Amino acid sequence: MFGVDSTDIACIINSRDGTIEKNKPGGTVNIFISGGCKNGKSYYAQRLAKEQAAENTPLYYIATMEPADEEDQARILRHRQERDGWGFTTLEKSVAIESLEADFSGSFLLDSVTALLSNEMFRKDGTVDRGAYLRVAGELERLADKSGTIVFVSDYICSDAMKYDELTELYRKGLAWIDRALAKKCDTVIEVSYGNIQLLKGEISI
Amino acid sequence: MHLIFGGAYQGKLDYAKERYRLEERDIFFCRAGKEGEGCPSGPEIDFNKKAVVRLEEFVLCCVRSGVEAKEYLKEHREEWEESVVLCTDISAGIVPYEREMRDWREMVGRTLTYLGKEAKEVTRVFCGLPQKIK
Repeated sequence: MFGVDSTDIACIINSRDGTIEKNKPGGTVNIFISGGCKNGKSYYAQRLAKEQAAENTPLYYIATMEPADEEDQARILRHRQERDGWGFTTLEKSVAIESLEADFSGSFLLDSVTALLSNEMFRKDGTVDRGAYLRVAGELERLADKSGTIVFVSDYICSDAMKYDELTELYRKGLAWIDRALAKKCDTVIEVSYGNIQLLKGEISI
Repeated sequence: MHLIFGGAYQGKLDYAKERYRLEERDIFFCRAGKEGEGCPSGPEIDFNKKAVVRLEEFVLCCVRSGVEAKEYLKEHREEWEESVVLCTDISAGIVPYEREMRDWREMVGRTLTYLGKEAKEVTRVFCGLPQKIK
């Protein structure tokens, strides 16, 4: 949400030929969205999920963030209020995404892949699951297969000049692994840069 | 020269290998080594190989050796006319706290600006997907 409205979507570029392509709403499509932080990804993803949802089928928001403190609780409450009126049913699922219970003919928005990997890799009991990214990539690919439309939101964190500690580096590598798997799996791949929509693969309707 | 850049782990090498049918023996991997260890590959690139990979490591090596990477490349301009050059984009994060990392980030920026201008083709790889820039 971040205070972005439709007029802030500055332009839509098809990276292959510079044209804007239209897609019929209601078709089942898997969409992957990434980009830097606070760029308007979540808001655009919500619009896409709603746009793609067929009539009379449920619209779900898969919330992956695990609240750690009051600040997180407040953030979650704010996001929930912002989604009010959009028609989303919120499903809290911070780990084990495969155990999600829903009507899979519906349209889904998963926000975010980043939080999901963090929860799966750095476990609540203090242990670290080094192979979490492989499991999460597989689970998300299967979720894409069985759901109607699904929009995945991730964060692009791979262009900074830092030599990180080994675990942070493994997390970055793991997230990039999942992102690449989802970009391959999805029909449409979008990078959001400060409200600008860059289409890297497939088609979009809005 | 074809410049291929993109963030870490985005699939630059997979893309280059497929596009140019590169074998391991066709690739020069730049290595900067750990801090204080010097540069195993030296601030030198073997342009006889078809592809130069991890150029950012060569640049880090240059930073540690007090060499300006762009000047080195200019001196060898004719040798990389037909090369494929891969470099990680390290330009879009927080300004690093350490001096060496800051110098590295800036030198990579200067180097890629030069190479981007000289290149016949520039591609950015994002989540495994190539994006034609030039």
